[in-house]
Amino acid sequence: MDSRRGSRFVIDPKIRQVGFVPAGCESENPNASSAVAAIANVDVNPTSDSPSPVMIPPRLADPLPRAAPLPVPSPPPRKHTSVEIPLQGSYNPTDSVLGTSPPFSPASNGRYAGVPSSEGPDLSPSFVSRASSAMEGMSLREDHLGSPSASRFATVGEYAMFKQQQPQQPATAVTKVYASSLPQEPVQSFAPVGKEDSSKPLKERTTKAERRAKQEADREAKRIAKESAGAKVVEGEARASSNVVGKASRAQSQKKDSASEKRLSAVEKASEKEKKKEIPAPRMQFDDQSRVAKAKKRALIEQTETKHRVELFRHLPQFVYGAQLPSLEAKFFHDDAMHPHPAVYQVGLQYLTGDITGGNARCIAMLSAFKELIKDYCTPRERTLIRDLTARVNNNVSFLTTCRPLCISMGNAIRFLKTRIAKLQLTLSESDAKSLIIAEIDRFMQEKINYADNEITKLAVTKIKDGDVILTYGSSCVVETIILHAFSLGKKFRVVIVDSRPKLEGKGLLRRLLGRGISCTYSHINAVTYIIQEVNKVFLGASSILSNGTVYSRVGSASVAMVANAFHVPVMICCETYKFHERVQLDSICFNELGDPDALVKIPGRKGLSELEGWSQSSHLKLLNLMYDVMPADYVSMIITELGMVPPTSVPVILREYRKDPILENFATFGKDSNPIKFFRASLEYYRAC
Amino acid sequence: MCYVTRTSALEYEDIEVGKARLIERGEQIGDISLKARKTIAMLGQDFIRDGSTILTHGFSRVVLSILKLAAANKKHFSVVCTEGRPDSTGLQMAKEMVAIGVPITLIIDSAVAYTMESVDMLLVGADGVVESGGIINMIGTYQAAMVARSMNKPVYVAAESYKFARMYPLDQKAMFPSSRQVDFHYPLPSAVQVEFSSRDYTPPQYLTLLFTDLGVFTPSAVSDELIQLYL
Repeated sequence: MDSRRGSRFVIDPKIRQVGFVPAGCESENPNASSAVAAIANVDVNPTSDSPSPVMIPPRLADPLPRAAPLPVPSPPPRKHTSVEIPLQGSYNPTDSVLGTSPPFSPASNGRYAGVPSSEGPDLSPSFVSRASSAMEGMSLREDHLGSPSASRFATVGEYAMFKQQQPQQPATAVTKVYASSLPQEPVQSFAPVGKEDSSKPLKERTTKAERRAKQEADREAKRIAKESAGAKVVEGEARASSNVVGKASRAQSQKKDSASEKRLSAVEKASEKEKKKEIPAPRMQFDDQSRVAKAKKRALIEQTETKHRVELFRHLPQFVYGAQLPSLEAKFFHDDAMHPHPAVYQVGLQYLTGDITGGNARCIAMLSAFKELIKDYCTPRERTLIRDLTARVNNNVSFLTTCRPLCISMGNAIRFLKTRIAKLQLTLSESDAKSLIIAEIDRFMQEKINYADNEITKLAVTKIKDGDVILTYGSSCVVETIILHAFSLGKKFRVVIVDSRPKLEGKGLLRRLLGRGISCTYSHINAVTYIIQEVNKVFLGASSILSNGTVYSRVGSASVAMVANAFHVPVMICCETYKFHERVQLDSICFNELGDPDALVKIPGRKGLSELEGWSQSSHLKLLNLMYDVMPADYVSMIITELGMVPPTSVPVILREYRKDPILENFATFGKDSNPIKFFRASLEYYRAC
Repeated sequence: MCYVTRTSALEYEDIEVGKARLIERGEQIGDISLKARKTIAMLGQDFIRDGSTILTHGFSRVVLSILKLAAANKKHFSVVCTEGRPDSTGLQMAKEMVAIGVPITLIIDSAVAYTMESVDMLLVGADGVVESGGIINMIGTYQAAMVARSMNKPVYVAAESYKFARMYPLDQKAMFPSSRQVDFHYPLPSAVQVEFSSRDYTPPQYLTLLFTDLGVFTPSAVSDELIQLYL
């Protein structure tokens, strides 16, 4: 995680290096001695807790052994050592490994291949493999007891995956150091039971899940190869398709699915299903060049990436705004499976221009477009409806993603739709199936959005009393409904609307509320600490609520909530349960949406102000327009959902209770009247059972 | 808290059967309460150790059952009890403690902060447990809990599960007002306003654990239970 903030040499607290030391300048003694010590350590306790730490051989055969074996390399007076400092407990493996000299990396046996002594020219793979073992060693050593704590990157693959996310430049600088330091023969105590040869760097860059699928696919492929010719082709296919399918559940990579599905055989389906049940596949990280290139090849629409991207957000996609329009227009009149349905096309354009914003509105627009799609859908010959319709939906979703990245609620809706399609009985006729799916979509929209909003409004107005001053940020449709409903009930209150650039969404809300006669105050987010002193309550909307109670909403809401919390003003988040997600997010960086940076340049109403014109010419200036931010659960007083008012700690409970049972999921309604009776019946049952 | 149950007995035409059924239900509810208290006592008395001093606020039958069971298990502990004005229920608690042979110190409500440094925990009952995990209890509980929290003393609440309610108060004024006349023993001029509320709301961040007949909960788990019960 640290490496996202730019590469710097992270130093373990025990051994501090101050100042920059150029690579290549190393002090040999401490390293060598520790190396020997480390080896001595291994000799001394060869039967330590499994897996026993295996030493990477020292850089040089050192003639001066130290007396006491040091399980932890102690910090002798170091003047020059820089990058060779052993880094324990540092969770920044790239930097630390780059800096680590080989002796300090006991690795669990079997984890990586033999000492890559012979690979002179091809250093990066050896570097990678050593790096991984170094890292494992470090985490093992951390314990000081030799007992194996779970290394942060327990497998080569995971480490490599992590490593991909970091800039690759430092590797070349330091590999030279390694070249000189490679030993001539492997150390006896080291047991090279490596499973992967380090000469295939590309393989090691896959994730654990993908590797497992690959293994499955390989096994099957071998089996098939015996039967049919072209074993290599199948294997290649399997790997490619399993690589691709692994990310199928993520919206950003759904574009690949259509192409790969045709190539999937029943064999790979089994491995794919098994893999899907495991850890969810990682999201597409846009700072990995090879993946981005692959995605581009399969993409429907050509998009050009923006220049001058902010380093911290390289893992998120950012394309030049509006550049996809010409290619879209060119493809519009193609009527085949690969291209979006006109209704979806229209919705996509509305997203692109910003005509439709807000989680609920976007979701409803998308689902209505999908209803049109399904109405006009005809199963082609020799295809099953389920498979083909899913592929069509995927294509359309990938198109919508290119217009604007999906929000979490839309992702949930799409998941719902695809599950419903998959559950269709094969015996249904096409028209029956279509009408069934359309009815399901209608029901989803009705229950999860419309009915939910009604319930939330009913619950929230009970919290508004006469004389209240309510603060809201931006423009949330649910909060607007609540305010209007409370006003229609005759409550006397006033509203403070806090707004922010560049979207200035609050202006629309202000206009609508004033039109109804509600007294409003309008303020910019800069003044929120001033205005909060007169406020009783804060009502905010959310794009999604994550499993740890964290609220993912419009950028700026976190600041408003933080200020409200500091002033002891209760913050109420109004959110439907279909927006909840099992994910956990700790900061606003690892997942977000990057908006158009040019929006920051243009200031409406101030034509004269053109300070930032031509910003893209300067390589020193980068503009960042974040769309969402993340609010920790501590700032939230309560979450108002259609199931009732719950504390933020209850979000995983709702996810657990209402998602596991499909019947409950369908009919998760909440009736206040029946509660006490059900409650006591349940209690009676409990007591009878006692 | 009040019980609401539905019974099919009232559909019977024979009034005697209906009456008997209602009586039976009432007794059943009484039994439930008793059983709940027994479970809570069993769970709660584990938290009372030899040599500990327990601060309690006012009188609660559940707390009393915990202390009685702990005393019966030959644990040596002492109790500090607040007077609990305006009800003065603390005096009743003092009497009960003497009856079971536990050393008891009676303090006035203002002396809670003063004595907090010499007690090991605060143990209170609850009139209601709300969705946020907070409790509604006799007035004075909130300040006792706040003082305990600031001095890092654990605050334990003993409440039966039928006291869980789907309320979510945001502040003190959000609850249904319940008042009790306060007698100041002094002729006050009529212009003086007197605050009569007899109950307050303690937010969940001041509570450590809740002992209920469904188990020992953290405040966050209350909502979990409520969601499950109201499924």
